[in-house]
Amino acid sequence: MEYDLFLGCVIPARLPFLEASSRKVFETLGIKLNDVEGFSCCPDPTGIEQIDHNTWLTMGARNLSLSKNGNGGILSFCSGCVETLKGVNFSLNKDPSLMEDVNKHLKKVGKNYDGKTNVKHFAQVLYENLDLVKKKVSKPLEGFKVAVHYGCHYLRPSEFIQWDDPFNPYTIDEIVKALGAESLDYDNKIECCGNPVEKSDKDLSLMMIENKLKAIQCSGANCVALVCPACYQQFDFNQRELSKKEDANYEIPIFYLSELAALAFGYDPEDLGLNFHRIKPQEFLENINFIK
Amino acid sequence: MSVINFEFRNEVLKHNASLSYCYQCSTCSGGCPIALLTEGKYNPRLIIEEAILGLQDKLIEMQDPNLWLCSTCQKCVELCPQKVELTEIFTLIKNRCFEEGEVPSGFVSQGKAVLDNGVAIPFSNAILARRKKLGLPEIKTASVDEIKTLLKVTNFEYHITRRGE
Repeated sequence: MEYDLFLGCVIPARLPFLEASSRKVFETLGIKLNDVEGFSCCPDPTGIEQIDHNTWLTMGARNLSLSKNGNGGILSFCSGCVETLKGVNFSLNKDPSLMEDVNKHLKKVGKNYDGKTNVKHFAQVLYENLDLVKKKVSKPLEGFKVAVHYGCHYLRPSEFIQWDDPFNPYTIDEIVKALGAESLDYDNKIECCGNPVEKSDKDLSLMMIENKLKAIQCSGANCVALVCPACYQQFDFNQRELSKKEDANYEIPIFYLSELAALAFGYDPEDLGLNFHRIKPQEFLENINFIK
Repeated sequence: MSVINFEFRNEVLKHNASLSYCYQCSTCSGGCPIALLTEGKYNPRLIIEEAILGLQDKLIEMQDPNLWLCSTCQKCVELCPQKVELTEIFTLIKNRCFEEGEVPSGFVSQGKAVLDNGVAIPFSNAILARRKKLGLPEIKTASVDEIKTLLKVTNFEYHITRRGE
């Protein structure tokens, strides 16, 4: 089994430790990820698409055209990239005249998109290989009480994401449980983290993440698992600022799903770059006796 | 006072016919996290109503409600009993704002970064060192000239450059 790896921008250029754990997980599973030359920004569905839909389609189609991997297609570690690539693919296949227009643009740079590239989120591939994932667990995540944050673009719009359930998702909970952790339900589990609103209204964006953190605290969870770098930044980068307020104290360690998998597969926390997190997981891992 | 602009209404309808399915039930606003937190100041139902009426001045000049507050969480699209493609309609209106109205600066700076680098975040030396330390391979991203050519064809370069001035 192999996929063309689409890294996008945020993970490789800002949060490379998330890339490190993700690559290790797929290496352990024996699923090959090809590094492809020439990918651009996906482009960002919460940014570029909002100011220029046509540019979003054109750049997205160019990226899709670079995958020559047949039915395996593209795998991405980022929910935003998956949203864009699946969305562009869907829009172009739905409307042949749009496909024709976009290919006229692509012809100017010697490219053409045939509409046939499959796109998968890395969590989808983990779920599809859950038995294999279970077999590779050598250090079950005992003591991890996980609040799963799905994020919006892993699920919606279901019309073209075509994976899991848009309002009652379960796939990541199942993966977390397969790794030996407990998954806890909480009040606003399917709500948005607020990251996309940061560009327009920082206070509103902080309100959204604080509401999530409060609900997670109330649930009794001791850490968060998520699958999108925008959500990761929103959860990990804002807790300290929010804790400056008098009655608030947020120190919930945030894990990428790949980091949890890598820990369960026996990787050393140091090799995963967990020390690059703003909320350092070290103390948490010691407190629950996962590491000495 | 707002003025009905039939041309604008027809443009939105032509782009997305699902606009005409809306019967103003407000399910979208009921499920919208931003409507909840802004106590209805941001209101997806009202945006759709203004689009149906063709109130271009409200949506693009006054930006009332402010479409840039949408978090693109896509709950409204999922909930709509009439399958109105709300976020696609919002995108069209925001695209028009990009051409002729106000846009929060974060969107413009991201667009400029993509135009200049082909990616939204260029690799800094610190990150390149960190990648090496983590044992990660070198990434060969798109040719900047190739992306610039495409962004010229789609007129993106023109609009971004105009705003940067």
